[in-house]
Amino acid sequence: MPILEVKNIKKVYTSRFGGNTVQALSNVSFSIEKGEYVAIMGESGSGKTTLLNIIAALDKPTSGDVLLNGESIVSIKERDISAFRRDNLGFVFQDFNLLDTFSVQDNIFLPLVLAGKTYEEMNERLKIIVKKLGISDILNKYPYEISGGQRQRTAIARALITKPQIILADEPTGALDSRSSDGLLKLFEEINNDGQTILMVTHSIKAASKAKRVMFIKDGEIFHQIYKASMTDEKMYQKISDTLTMIVTGGERNE
Amino acid sequence: MSRFFYSKIAVNNIQKNSKTYIPYILACICTIVMFYNMSFLAAAKNIGNLSNSSSLRQVLIFGEKVIAIFSIIFLFYNNRFLVKRRKKEFGLFNILGMEKKHIAIVMLLEMIIIMIISITAGVLIGIILSKLIILLLFKIITFKVVFGFEIPIKSVIHTVILFSGIFGINLCYNIFQVHLSNPIELLKGTNAGEKEPKTKWIIAVIGVICLGRGYYISLTTKYPLAAVGGFFTAVILVIIGTYCLFIAGSIAILKMLRKNKKYYYKLNHFVSISSMIYRMKQNAAGLSNICILSTMVIVMLSTTISMYAGIEDVLRNRYPRNISVNAYNVSENQIKKLNDVIEKQTSILDTTPMNTVSYRYMYFITTQNRESFTIKEINNYIPSDAAELVFITIDDYNRMSNKSESLLKGETLLYTLNGNIDGDEINLNGFKFHIKKRLPSLYKEGRLTSIMANSYFLVVDDMDTIKEVQNALKGDNGNIEYVSYYYSFDVNAKRDIQIKLTQALKKELIRISPKIDIEGSESSRKDFFELYGGLFFLGIFLGILFIMAMVLAMYYKQILEGYDDKERYSIMKKIGMSCEKIRQIIKSQVLTVFFMPLIVAVIHLIFAFNILTKFLSMLNFTNVRLFVICTIITVCAFSVIYTVVYVLTAKTYYKIIRE
Repeated sequence: MPILEVKNIKKVYTSRFGGNTVQALSNVSFSIEKGEYVAIMGESGSGKTTLLNIIAALDKPTSGDVLLNGESIVSIKERDISAFRRDNLGFVFQDFNLLDTFSVQDNIFLPLVLAGKTYEEMNERLKIIVKKLGISDILNKYPYEISGGQRQRTAIARALITKPQIILADEPTGALDSRSSDGLLKLFEEINNDGQTILMVTHSIKAASKAKRVMFIKDGEIFHQIYKASMTDEKMYQKISDTLTMIVTGGERNE
Repeated sequence: MSRFFYSKIAVNNIQKNSKTYIPYILACICTIVMFYNMSFLAAAKNIGNLSNSSSLRQVLIFGEKVIAIFSIIFLFYNNRFLVKRRKKEFGLFNILGMEKKHIAIVMLLEMIIIMIISITAGVLIGIILSKLIILLLFKIITFKVVFGFEIPIKSVIHTVILFSGIFGINLCYNIFQVHLSNPIELLKGTNAGEKEPKTKWIIAVIGVICLGRGYYISLTTKYPLAAVGGFFTAVILVIIGTYCLFIAGSIAILKMLRKNKKYYYKLNHFVSISSMIYRMKQNAAGLSNICILSTMVIVMLSTTISMYAGIEDVLRNRYPRNISVNAYNVSENQIKKLNDVIEKQTSILDTTPMNTVSYRYMYFITTQNRESFTIKEINNYIPSDAAELVFITIDDYNRMSNKSESLLKGETLLYTLNGNIDGDEINLNGFKFHIKKRLPSLYKEGRLTSIMANSYFLVVDDMDTIKEVQNALKGDNGNIEYVSYYYSFDVNAKRDIQIKLTQALKKELIRISPKIDIEGSESSRKDFFELYGGLFFLGIFLGILFIMAMVLAMYYKQILEGYDDKERYSIMKKIGMSCEKIRQIIKSQVLTVFFMPLIVAVIHLIFAFNILTKFLSMLNFTNVRLFVICTIITVCAFSVIYTVVYVLTAKTYYKIIRE
């Protein structure tokens, strides 16, 4: 059974006075298996952020359904939704979204505190994760005292510590320099190799080329997808680049 | 055309910032109403009709000055808050191509609009309310109502000038602020990053010491006179202590709580402790201000209210009998004449003296050194080693207290009001007394109510001994003929008869000796009501003003923080915090910030209680129970207002975050 199933999602935005309607997503369906590493690419306004928000249960689709482990996200009641998000999803944002009132350690603890875990349990989970992410020495620092790369690692640690079913990453390299980006992507690969399912939305061809599968979204629909399989990163890069060119120049759909 | 453009922007800006500007304008209006009314009372002709109006007018003029100073500080403080919030907006204007001089024009127009609205509304409401206020004041001081309506033009002019000045200063400050900073800084505005504050142990320790010392002074003050000096020392110590503790102590406590993992990693504590540590640096001063102001308001209200409520007690304490006559240094012959005059005057008015108390006495201000006393020149200032000695004869004592004690020469009965004499001997510059007995109580009246300094009352065998004491103390060897004489009585007559009698006695007795004082409780009653009523009125008036100020300060503080916190809560929401939880956390956080100063203020009050009662007893107010009740009522009323504002603030705060 796929871990995530998106079925015929449609999202229509209506302006405040009911005049204009904009169709952000017209008909999107796909599924992700456990342990996959998927990147979604598309231009600005193609609907990829809307899609991610719906999967993250931050927004509701106009029609269609999203199943996580066979359970419908769309039909979860409003008051359970926070707990659901906390327990099943891990988020990594472009601008890190760390809280500057908390130290690095407390930022990582936040979702566990929200879930009401004991300090001992939190600490145990923390030790394993920070070691893997290489942020053991900055645990007592504050977000404004560390570099961008370290901040993003902290954000990843915060996403991982709840042992989520799936990690949703929204432009994770968007605010990083190229060296930090490389480090981060390597980290994602490692996490994925450990069996963590990742869904990433990105602009960056380089970031997407590390994923095992890349989906392209255009005008609110899945336009095309590429499986990496045994391709090298360079080959994958080339292929993604070609596809993007084709999308922009309006080529025919192939495969 | 372009002027029209700027004024449009100005109006727009005010509308857009209505959440902060409406409370600001309301606060301006309230302050103006308050100031106008106090100024009106200080200038009102109606008050000129009062007999003792100069003391009342002085209280009111003092009130006007206090409100003026307060208005300047208060409105400036709030204006600073507004400008801080709007820096970003001005930065945007700047980047979009408006020069700073254009921004200044917009600010000027905004300020003019606000000024016109506030001053017009304030003065109008003030004029409408002024009749009500003067009626209220007259009711409080039990003065007959005067008809007519009055608008002292002087007060209107004062109000307009003062507040135009305040707005002008604020405008200059704002323009200066915008002028100083570059667009990028303006854009960043409020979100400058803040470091976690360090724990300042030295300051915390100083705070504890100051507070402890202040409390100690208050708790150990035994004598009313000591209360005066002690009170101000204690107040200053407590103010310093409060500042230090809020600045350093709060951070120390919060960090200690954070170290306690079990406590800290509970959701509510987790979020609020961390954000409080983050903010404490800028909050501490504000919170301690609020705390000190609350304490002052409560003290001011509870003392003035209880003095006013206990005014009859005060009168009876001050004047134990309806009429009292105090004659200093009179001869036996004069005493006889005095008694005759009283008898004659009372019978003219068809009354008879009742509950008469009379005694001859002699008193000396001395310097005490353990059990020996030497004479002291009397100045205005009374040092703490000063002691008052009052001598009366055993005959007078027995008569007044229905006893039949007897004394030999050189023996004395001692009653100590304040102070302490060890051993059985008293040495009065060589003249020695043996203390036969210490009296547990003494009928106190006239000179015997003196409770300012350490006071000892000595009952001795006869008048001659008293004269010998005088010789010993003063060193003159002549035979002194003069003693002091006290005579007091109640009369069973109406108020106006009593006043008439007092006046008649005054006229007659002055002929016997100029050193005779006559006091009538009824003729003093009006003065008392005017003074105490005036103070009570001022207390309430200023109390309301300060409370309003405090409330607004809190409201603004929370709103400012709300905008700061908005982003934080949206992150937490994304990570999986429910709206319900957010609401709970906000509630408890705002609750702590709001009620911490109040709780500390109440603690201050509890510790200050002892010294306050001593202080009041100097003003002839000794009804401790009434004081307790008034204080409790004040605290309760204060808390209710506080709670209402808290609920409103928490609501607004939540709304900002949910936006």
